[in-house]
Amino acid sequence: MKRVLIVDDAATVRMYHRGVLESRGFAVEEALNGIEALEKALETPFDLLLVDVNMPRLDGLGFLKEMRRQQIPQPPAIMVSTEAAARDEMAACHAGANCYLVKPVRPLQLLAHARLMLGEANQ
Amino acid sequence: MPIEFKKNRAVFHDVVVVEEAEGLLDWLQNKPAAKVDLFACRHVHTANLQVLMAARPEIARWPEDMELRAWLESALKPAS
Amino acid sequence: MNPLLEQFLSESRDFSQGISEKLMQMEGAPSDQGLINELFRLVHTLKGNSGLFTFPEMTRVLHAGEDLLGLVRNGRIAYSQELADRLLDAIDLVMEMCADIEATERIDASRAGDSARMAESLRALIPEVPSEAPAPVAIHPGATPAGLPLLSEVPEAARKEALRQCRGGEALHWVCYAPVQDCFFQGDDPFFCARQTPGLLWGAAKPLQALPLLAELDTYRCLLQFHLLTSASREELSEYFRYVPDQVSIVPVNPQLLEPSVSAPPGNVQHHSAAADGFKGGAANSPDSPQAPAEDQDEASRERAAALDRILAAQEQILKLDDRPEWSGGRLQSVAAVLVNLARAAGDEVAISEIEAALAECLSSGQNALLLLWLETGREHLVARLSSPSASPAQVKHKPAAGPPNSSGEAAATEGAPAQSAASDGIKFGRRAEDNAPSPRSLKVDQAKIDRLMNLIGELVVSKNALPYLAQRAESQFGVRELSREIKGEYSVINRIVDEMQDAIMQVRMMAVSYIFQRFPRLVRDISRKLGKEVQLVLEGEQTEADKNIIESLADPLIHIVRNSLDHGLETPEVRRACGKRETGTLTIRAAQEADRVVIEIIDDGKGIDPAVIKQKAYEKGIIDEAALGRIDDREAVNLIFAAGLSTAAVVSDLSGRGVGMDVVRSAVEKINGTVVIDSELGRGTSIRISLPLSMAVTQVMVVESDGQLFGVPMDNVVETVRIAKGQLRTIKQTLAAVLRGRIVPLKSLNTLLGIPAAPRANSEHELAVLLVHAGGEVLGLLVDGFKETIGLIQKPLGGFLSGLTAYSGSALMGDGSVLMILNVREII
Repeated sequence: MKRVLIVDDAATVRMYHRGVLESRGFAVEEALNGIEALEKALETPFDLLLVDVNMPRLDGLGFLKEMRRQQIPQPPAIMVSTEAAARDEMAACHAGANCYLVKPVRPLQLLAHARLMLGEANQ
Repeated sequence: MPIEFKKNRAVFHDVVVVEEAEGLLDWLQNKPAAKVDLFACRHVHTANLQVLMAARPEIARWPEDMELRAWLESALKPAS
Repeated sequence: MNPLLEQFLSESRDFSQGISEKLMQMEGAPSDQGLINELFRLVHTLKGNSGLFTFPEMTRVLHAGEDLLGLVRNGRIAYSQELADRLLDAIDLVMEMCADIEATERIDASRAGDSARMAESLRALIPEVPSEAPAPVAIHPGATPAGLPLLSEVPEAARKEALRQCRGGEALHWVCYAPVQDCFFQGDDPFFCARQTPGLLWGAAKPLQALPLLAELDTYRCLLQFHLLTSASREELSEYFRYVPDQVSIVPVNPQLLEPSVSAPPGNVQHHSAAADGFKGGAANSPDSPQAPAEDQDEASRERAAALDRILAAQEQILKLDDRPEWSGGRLQSVAAVLVNLARAAGDEVAISEIEAALAECLSSGQNALLLLWLETGREHLVARLSSPSASPAQVKHKPAAGPPNSSGEAAATEGAPAQSAASDGIKFGRRAEDNAPSPRSLKVDQAKIDRLMNLIGELVVSKNALPYLAQRAESQFGVRELSREIKGEYSVINRIVDEMQDAIMQVRMMAVSYIFQRFPRLVRDISRKLGKEVQLVLEGEQTEADKNIIESLADPLIHIVRNSLDHGLETPEVRRACGKRETGTLTIRAAQEADRVVIEIIDDGKGIDPAVIKQKAYEKGIIDEAALGRIDDREAVNLIFAAGLSTAAVVSDLSGRGVGMDVVRSAVEKINGTVVIDSELGRGTSIRISLPLSMAVTQVMVVESDGQLFGVPMDNVVETVRIAKGQLRTIKQTLAAVLRGRIVPLKSLNTLLGIPAAPRANSEHELAVLLVHAGGEVLGLLVDGFKETIGLIQKPLGGFLSGLTAYSGSALMGDGSVLMILNVREII
């Protein structure tokens, strides 16, 4: 089963993303901020990261930079944000995100991205 | 007379101004099966537009003015 | 209620509380960057959450708040009290909306106006830059601002015309024009204005939210907004909408979005909405929305094609970055991982090995060129293989080679909130068990159920008390000693269990005083601001617990006292300075548990109360007589403030500065068997002490005997029990009295008070039993025949025609089945 780590400080958003991903059979773990995400990601490998930008302690950009610095297999990462500006997207890619989605993310949109980035063939 | 209220039909003429909205609303409330004839209408004030959108009466004739007709059709036609 | 919506509400409440607290903290540290960041984050997150549902009224307010705080965070606006005031108001409004949602799962339609006004008032604090203020408009093509999803509604003809004009060099803009609700009164006709928009290619009128029923429709409020596609330039549009810049957002449109290949034919668009999914958010705003099937194949493949485009473009963008941060190696690996996964999804084993080889080369050379080259050459093949059979060939052919990353992402965009469409896709939301584990699981239970449980336990207490009598009868009447012992043994077991049950049910009803205390920071702040006073609020012992009823009935008296302290106790900064005090007054509210009571103290360091003035006024009002005028000490005098006749606004604010209705406070406190006393030092401050039982369920009463009958006296009233020799009784002014520890205590016979024609009986030593009770600040001796035990019992209010007997506060069943009447001491004396 493919494992996805949701990193978001908003419980509502976590629950929403989890619901969408679990509905199609992905295993989901949650982290409330970058520090917690890093701890989880270093403990066990994930197949995909779904990362919010604005979080306390360590934000999404900081987490991704730290993550990409590690000598471990690097999973794809989707960054989600409420900002639609190009510079925010650039910043995300610079930090190590492989895709940038503007919140709120529609379920089918999230699933399409997740499946492709996880290497799932079309059913 | 911008709106002519007939027995079971409201006929819009020319420009229907804001003051008509209240009367239109009352009339439509009392006659849920009424039809609206927009053929000779060139413009409806926003207040009337939203009354029509809320009431969704059957449209007997769409405006002759194609531009207005496009607006009203998208606002008033139930999705197919 | 849908668990996601529940989660949203509970998180919204927490966040609102957090926002209020942070705002309050900022008053003390207006330039604390950490606080500002945290505040921004809270508002930002709350806004993001609201966007998951169709709650535009809430999102609008929060968005304005977020923009404002963003500027504060960047140092472009200074924090001010006005700013805090408005943000607090905004949070209040959000909380009201949450209450709406809680009750009806939607926001009341009437909030739209409040929401617009609130957003406007927040934005009014943002200096100038009007074009930036309303909703940060993304400037780059391919952005996905609100409204653009409607692009899919644009009919073919208008689309073609737009593309034609675009090729002719015109810029395309999307205008969302949301007129203010009262614009009709200003003579505006937004529909006319929209129709006249320069370069208009297509437009649509949409309700801001579901239109109300005809009966509730207000024809004089504008409930519509207009979406316009135009070929006019931004300058032209700004000029045309110059009178309503804050009601208009203008976004450039990427012409690719209009290409027929990536845009769904209008008839084919799926509108997701809350139609029948059980949790309608703000509004099911597209009236023309059919229920979406679980997962529409066409839509899924459109979505997949769009995602593929976006992902490929993003990898290309990353590979083209020419910076080399420390983490560029990991970044490169992640790009390769994405590409490998895409190739895997396409079933292209060759591609996988090509990518892996290119990655190895890139990592060793430190150059991205090889991967980029692979992407540029392998892309077509990958896209073709990944396109599902159901995708039309045109879809593949028309894919932009390397468009902006999200160029076609919104092609199949749909109206309505994603969370709602999610629900229509049959997605289930719920917390996982492990998420619940760390936080205490709580259960919401209807109060009536707890009450019933408590009544049953009360009855159990009484029934169990019958057992000792039964044991006694077994022995004395039937002479079976063995059985008597066994009954006693069983009794002690049942007794223990019942005690524990009683304790357990009390625990269930316990609530922390923080429930009331949490309102005070805001209350104190608002009132002191209004009065122009500077007050520092200190809260202590917020975790102290008491029975729910006690806590709830405490709220009003406490608020009353706090208001009074602020209004009349604490002085203005000028006065305080003149008195040599610190300009900022201190108001301390402290809760603590003392034995089986909760004690709450409200202490201010204000100007205190002048006992002489109170005494004089009390005398004038006939509350005390001349003798008392000379006799009572300052402390007693100050406590006269609780007397009913004295505390009228006119009198008291004149003389002492203490405000209205302290007698109201007293009676509210006494109703829950509490006491309230006041201590005040002129010029130094006032302290009010409220003492309350921890729980109202069990009353401790002392049983006394008089004329052969038993009565209960609540222990709250009992000061002490003494025996006084008959010879020590004095008669002062026709009143029986005795001197006890140097004080004259008036004595009254309980028999007389209850109208029983019998004299108090003395014991063999010619002593009378005197129960000293206090009531309303007075101590008085009750002459009774004798004292019995003190017991805890569940008091039942008197019902039926007995309820008129004010001499008794209630009755209770004793273990032997007899009824004990509980005296209402305050009433009888």
